[in-house]
Formats: sequence, C-alpha cells, structure tokens
Amino acid sequence: MAAPVFPKGYNIKKRRSQALAFGMFRILSISIVLILFAILGFIIYKGAGVLDWDFLTEAPSDGMTAGGIMPAIVGTLLLMAGSAAVAFPVGIMSGIYMNEYASKTGWTVRFIRLMTNNLSGVPSIVFGLFGMALFVKYLGFGDSILAGSLTLGLLSLPLVIRTTEEALKDIPDGIREGSLALGATRLQTIWKVVLPMGMPRIITGLILSLGRVSGETAPILFTCAAYFFPQLPTSVFDQCMALPYHLYVISTSGTDIEAQQPIAYGTALVLIIIVLIINILAGMLRKWFERRLKIK
Amino acid sequence: MKKIADKTVRWVLTASGFVTSVVILLIIGFLFTEGAGLFGEKVIEEGYVLAVNKDNPVRVLDAAQIKAVFDEDMTNWKEAGGPDLPIETFRLEDMDEYFTEEQLGPQYENAGTLITSLVASSPGMVAFVPESMIPDDARLVFIEDCNISPEEVFAGTEWYPTATPAPLFGILPLLAGTLWVSFFAILIALPFGISIAVYMSEVASERVRGFLKPVIELLNGIPSVVYGFFGLIIIVPLLQQVFGLPVGESGLAGSIVLAIMALPTIVTVADDAMRNCPGALREGSLALGATRWQTVARVVIPSSMSGIASGVVLGIGRAIGETMAVLMVTGNAAVVPHSILEPLRTIPATIAAELGEAPAGGAHYQSLFLLGVILFFITFFINLCVEYISSRNRAKNS
Amino acid sequence: MAIALFVICATAGAQRIKGSDTLLPLTQELAEEYLASHPDGDVVVTGGGTGVGISALLENTTDIAMASRRIKFGEKMKLASENLNAAEVIVAYDALAVVVNPSNPVDSLTREQLEAIFRGKITNWKDVGGEDRKIVVYSRETSSGTYEFFKESVLDNKNYMSGVLSMPATGAIIQSVRQTKGAIGYIGLAYLNRYVKPVAVSYDGGLSYAMPSVDAAADGSYPVVRPLYYYYNVEKEGEVGAFVSFALSDQGQASVLRQGFVPVNMEDSSSGEDMSL
Repeated sequence: MAAPVFPKGYNIKKRRSQALAFGMFRILSISIVLILFAILGFIIYKGAGVLDWDFLTEAPSDGMTAGGIMPAIVGTLLLMAGSAAVAFPVGIMSGIYMNEYASKTGWTVRFIRLMTNNLSGVPSIVFGLFGMALFVKYLGFGDSILAGSLTLGLLSLPLVIRTTEEALKDIPDGIREGSLALGATRLQTIWKVVLPMGMPRIITGLILSLGRVSGETAPILFTCAAYFFPQLPTSVFDQCMALPYHLYVISTSGTDIEAQQPIAYGTALVLIIIVLIINILAGMLRKWFERRLKIK
Repeated sequence: MKKIADKTVRWVLTASGFVTSVVILLIIGFLFTEGAGLFGEKVIEEGYVLAVNKDNPVRVLDAAQIKAVFDEDMTNWKEAGGPDLPIETFRLEDMDEYFTEEQLGPQYENAGTLITSLVASSPGMVAFVPESMIPDDARLVFIEDCNISPEEVFAGTEWYPTATPAPLFGILPLLAGTLWVSFFAILIALPFGISIAVYMSEVASERVRGFLKPVIELLNGIPSVVYGFFGLIIIVPLLQQVFGLPVGESGLAGSIVLAIMALPTIVTVADDAMRNCPGALREGSLALGATRWQTVARVVIPSSMSGIASGVVLGIGRAIGETMAVLMVTGNAAVVPHSILEPLRTIPATIAAELGEAPAGGAHYQSLFLLGVILFFITFFINLCVEYISSRNRAKNS
Repeated sequence: MAIALFVICATAGAQRIKGSDTLLPLTQELAEEYLASHPDGDVVVTGGGTGVGISALLENTTDIAMASRRIKFGEKMKLASENLNAAEVIVAYDALAVVVNPSNPVDSLTREQLEAIFRGKITNWKDVGGEDRKIVVYSRETSSGTYEFFKESVLDNKNYMSGVLSMPATGAIIQSVRQTKGAIGYIGLAYLNRYVKPVAVSYDGGLSYAMPSVDAAADGSYPVVRPLYYYYNVEKEGEVGAFVSFALSDQGQASVLRQGFVPVNMEDSSSGEDMSL
C-alpha cells in the first residue's frame, strides 16, 4: 500500500487557509478592542476636561449646568452597598446550600438552578416594574434607597449564587471528607475549611456583581432615583441620586444642553472609572488571595 | 446544642436556596395580576360615555372604529353599519363652538342639559362626555362599552395607549420591533463573537488572552446608558450618512448597539465551551496531520457547538431585555417594521418611557405590566432553551 | 402597622416634589434658590412623569406633584375616594415651539399644515413650500403631558400618525432635529437653542403668524401655550406652603422667566385678571 499522495502544494494551501482564517479572527478581535477604546476614548476626551476635585465633591448648581455630581456618586455607592447587603448573605447561603447540602442530582438542585438561571435572564426593566409593584407600592416603602437596594439586590442575586456555587464546586471533596473524618461537624467544615478556601473566587465574583449594579438604570428608574437631591440622604427611606440615572437625565432632558453636555460626559467618565476600579480591584484581590493560599 | 445549631443553619440555608424561586413567583404574581387587569378595563376612558342620538341604530363600535371616527378618518355612519349619515363628533373642548358663556352658566352647570339636547337634535352626532354630566332623564343612547378584548391586544397593530375616547393597545408593532432588532443584533454579533472566542481560546498567546479577557469584561461592565449616549451621538448620524437615510434613528442603530452589548456574553460562554473541549480530541486531530485551523473548524467548533449555542441564546436574551440604550437610538415609532433601516419601538423601551406618565392603576398602566409579562415569558422561554441545550450537552459529554 | 410606621418615617424627612419632566429643570432651579434662602429646608426633586407624580401624591410618597397636564378625571376620582383634597396651583406657563432643522427654508406653518404633517397626511416638505425632502416627524413619548397638550392644541384632538418617532425627552428631540435634515418636532420654549430653528405658527389660517417667545406667549399672540401645575394635599398646606409661595413670589417668578417659561403674573395681567401677589 502506498502512502496517500497529496497534490503538490497541498500543505501550502492548508497553511494559507489557516493564515487567512486566523488573520481574520485576529482582525475581528482587534476591531473589538478598537471599539472599546473608541467608546472610552470618546468619553475620556470629552469628559476629562470637567473632571476635577470640585466636580467630585460638589452638588449640582445653576440648574444642573455647573457644580459637581457628588450626591450622585454617593447615591450610587449607597445603592451598591445596599444591594450588597441584600444579595451577598442570601446569595452566599444559597450557593452553600446548593453545593454542600442539597443532593447534587436531586430535583431541588435542578429546580433551584433552573429558577436562578431564569432570574438572571429577567430583563432589568422587568425588575424595575416588579420593584415598583412590590416594594414601592405594595409594601409602601415609597421611592427610597431601601426599595432601590432591594430591587438591585434581587437583580444581582443570581450572579452571587452562581459565583459561590462555582467557587465551592472546585474545592476537592477530599478536603471536606478529611475535615469530617477529624470529627468536625458539617457546619464547622463549611465555616472553617470550605468557605475560606472558596473565598478568593467568591469575593472577586461579588465585586464584579457590584460593578453590574453600579451601572443599572432601569431598575431604579421607578424605585429610587431622584433628579435633584443636593443634601445627602439621611435614612434608607430617602431617595437618592445615582450616576447612571443622572447621566440619562442630563443627556436627554436639560434646558441648557450645551452647558450640560460636558457634565454628561464627565458623569459617564466617572461611572466608567468606577466600573474600571471595580474590575481592577477584583483582579488584584484574586491574585492576592491566590498567593496567600499558596503560601499556606 | 450543636445539633440544634446545625439544624437551624441547614434550615436557613435551604430557605435561602429557594429565594430565587420565590422571587420568580412573586414577579409572575405581581406582573400578572396588574397585567391581566387590562382585560377587565372598558374600551372607553373611565368615567366617560359616547352618547348618540336615539334614532341612530349603531350601538357597537370597537376601539379602532372609535379612533377612526374621532380622527375624522371615518365620516359616515354607514361605514360602521348604520344609515347613510355623516358623522359629527363632539368633545367637551368643542363646547364653546356650540354654546355661549351665558348659556353654559358661570359654573358650566347647564352644560349637561345643553349637550343632551344638542345630541338629541342632531341625528349624526356622537358625543364624548363625562357620564356624570348627562342628566338621568336624558333621552339618549350610549355606545355599548365592552371590555378590552385579548384579540385587540395581541393581534392589534396600533399602539395608541393615550388616545381618547378609546385607547388602542395593539402590541404587535412592539413585539415585532423587539424581535426584529434582537435578531439583527445577533446576526451582527454572531460572527464577531465566535471569531473572537476562537481567537482567544485557540490562537492567541496567553499574554494576548490575558489582555483580551479584561477588555471583554470591561465591555460588559460599561453601563447601557453610556452605550445609548454613544449610539445617539456617533452611530445614529453615521448611519444616516452611510445609508443616506432620511432619519438615523433606526432598528439598525439599535441592533449595532445591542450587538456590542451582547458580544461579551457570547464570547465568554463560547470561549468557555471551547476551552472545555477535551484535549485528546484536539491532539488526535493534530496528530493526524490536520492544521490548527482544520482542527478548530472540524473538531473544536462542532464538539463545543451546544456551548456556543447557549452563549448565542443568552446573548439574544440580553438583547431582548435591554432598555435604556435602545430607548435612546431606535426612534421608538410604534409601527410594524418592514426593514431594519426604519425606526421601530421595543417592549422594554415602551415600558421605561411610558410607565412614568401613565395614571397608576389605569388601563395604560396595566397594559405596560402586560408587556412586562410578555417580556418575562420571552426571556423565560429563552432560558429554558439554554437549559435544554446545555443539558443535552452534559448528557453527550458524560 | 409596620407600613404605617414607614410612611411616618418617610414624611418626616425631606420635602418631596415629584412628577412631570417638563417641570424638572424649573423646579430644580427653584429648589436650589429656595435652599439658599432657607438653609434648614430639605427638598428632593424627582422626575418620572405627571402620572407618577399624581399617583405618588395619592400614596403619600410625595408632597407636591408637578404636572404638565391637568389632573385627569380618573385620577381625580381616585383622590376623592381616598378623601384627599388636592390644591391646584399654576406655577408657570409654557409655550411650545415647533422646530425644524436650521437648514430647512420653511419658516412658517399654519395649524392646519401642522395637523396634516403630524397626522401623516403631508409627508414631503415641498407641499408646504420647502425643498423636495421627506418629512421626519419627531414627537415626545405618547404619555407625556407635552404630547397630549400638542395633540389637543395643534392636532385638534386627533391622533398622531403611528409612524411618528417618539423620543423619551426633549433633549433627545433637539439632538435628533439638529442632525436630521427633514426633521420637525416640538419642544418647550425654555429648551430652544441655536441648533434648531423655530417656525412661526398661525392659528387663523395664515392671516397672522407669530414666532414663539415669552412676550408673544404672555400677550396672547402666540397660541400654543399651556399652564404647568403643582398639586398638593390641602391638609399639608403648612409643610409645602413655604415652597409653593416661594415659587409664586417675585423671586421665584423671576427664576421662571430666566428659565424661559412664562411667569404666572405676566400671563394674568395680560388676560385682565390681575392677581398681584
């Protein structure tokens, strides 16, 4: 039997088609990077001019044409904290239940996972409708930080659950068994062994979920956001300003668009910087935890 | 003691496990009760009646006919199955054309009787007046006011939620707009998304990958309002020039913005799927003399197809539910779109834009909740598809 | 009980003003000045729309509702059923300007022409004396007070055509009219800037045209003018009275004028019912 005879140049042809395909992929990938930089560059170029200390520390003035966006920054941070207070404990506990308690093949886990996935697919505007119907109207919280935080908390819940679950899933069963064999209860095992080991990934996941919360507009549109509230809120029943809503409002509905445009860009820039900081922070934390874990 | 603590913890954890399910049920419950209320509402605006002369045999007009009558697009009663008689319309705002201030009295206390006699004396007139204004003994007949019917809503092509006397809640244009814009968004995002995923998982070096991954994550993290803002100021005028359109706000502008927004989802999921493709398959193919490209195209992509598919479906889900960016760039015209270059209106944008002004508890308010229900079920269905695809995938891999 | 407690907590806080987006910039500026002269005051201004404002008034989640339309029959009935007596105050008048792209040679239109354009009966600028170009009609969202007022006043209560492009806010209309050659739209006088061109409007079939301006609106020569309202619970007069009377004071009304709205007293004196404050 003779070896298969390839026509002359077959190899070159193969390589050429590979080079063509990979080249195309590379170009498309580069174009995405370019799109990102176009968006970022555009906003930095237009927004960097207004970004200074006063912009970050003052309330808006002169009919939103001057001053800063401090209340909106504080509001966004408050909403992030509020939604974290709602989503983190419930989400982490739910993740622990899914991975440590419930039987992995049972219908409960499959049902909960299905529901969690469905919840993560619910559009943010539907969360807004729901938050308005339940928290604002039915429970009578009114437009408030409380209602906004609860709505945003529920929105980020699936992400928190999934992160926790994934983090715990990667911990080898041998470790759990070892702990149990030493006489520790299940709770002790989870608290002292499993959770600390899963922490690095859980924390980075949590931080990323905060990033998502910081940019949401639709859920707070009807549950929390104030157009103008120069004082800082004093209780959870106050409304607050928020960066994404502020950006939406001043880029579409001011009377003096020319004077407000730079503020809109500045707000967008601050919002992106917050997201950027969150991403970088998550990356650094992940690295730091990984290193610490290795040393141990 | 320890046992009790263990039990309590177990109980609390189980409870929190079911929180998402409870939330889903609550969402369905709240949205549904509000939304279903729409079909209990009357066609004609609350507190008002349409009064006609008692000799007029027409008793039933549907919402579309009422709109046509008051827009003066329908001008003869025979078009509504009545006699050959021109239609005259009367609204409260027209009062000063028919009556003087003295006739009406200082507090308009005579208005009811005057309108009654006006309608009684003009055979072709239909008057849109508050029920409370018509005296009890008035010898008028009213157009029958039926409930808003599901056909009118689900098969209606006109969305006039604030039209008087009878609003129209045809959701077809909104549904079509939503699906249309999402479809094109995926059509644009798909080649990009898969290429990038292939590049990241198969071609790029670890360093390039380490650079691309955060870029994609960052793209996901940019708030949708920023995309909308960018789209309105850059993409809309650009499209207008490139295609020579009379108007730049179009489905395409929305699709492009949505494509950029759906991209990270598609890339991340597809990338994961391809990286999970067993190394042995890859090595086998390479060992047989296939190039890396052949391996990718004939082995890696087919074997991770279901992962890629679920990424795409998730991307569609993201695009369908996106609100703020679309609101700012698609033009929001409530017509069934014939081409992607026309303005269109999506369900999420409609909810966000109209909920604020709709009187709480009224038909308009309820119709927006109904849209919320529809949107919820579309995404619910999409998620079930993802679930199905990935469970098939798991079965295949194990 | 718990809910009642929440409500009490909520009302003890800031003075909350909520509603129409048209009134937002004006109220925001008024609030800013009010706070400058009442440093211990506490004011929150929220948009969302007239409907949101009035239903918030009903639920006691706002103290003043801003409205760019008169309260609706159904809403009034709801307030009555809650035994809530709402006081109505006109804080300013707003003239609506019809605007086109600055490159458009058309500079005046009659009400009938406007009606035909917004209803889709006229679709090319050459039919109203302009270039051969398709008319692109921009409107506000279906539910905004501005949309309804324009419908009442200019379209004689008939409906807009279904293909009209509706924008979520006035700023978006300006942005779009600015970058679309065949565009026509309507905006509050206060929003008028150099990127869009207002057209003169005639309500008497072309005998006399008027350009939109505060003066023309005040002396009645410009026809497309509507009142803007504050609604509040009469029982809360003591709490909200200070802000409302500040809004109606000379200082407040000067701010109204500065913002491009028509002050209340100006309109009143022109119509002969002088209500000197």
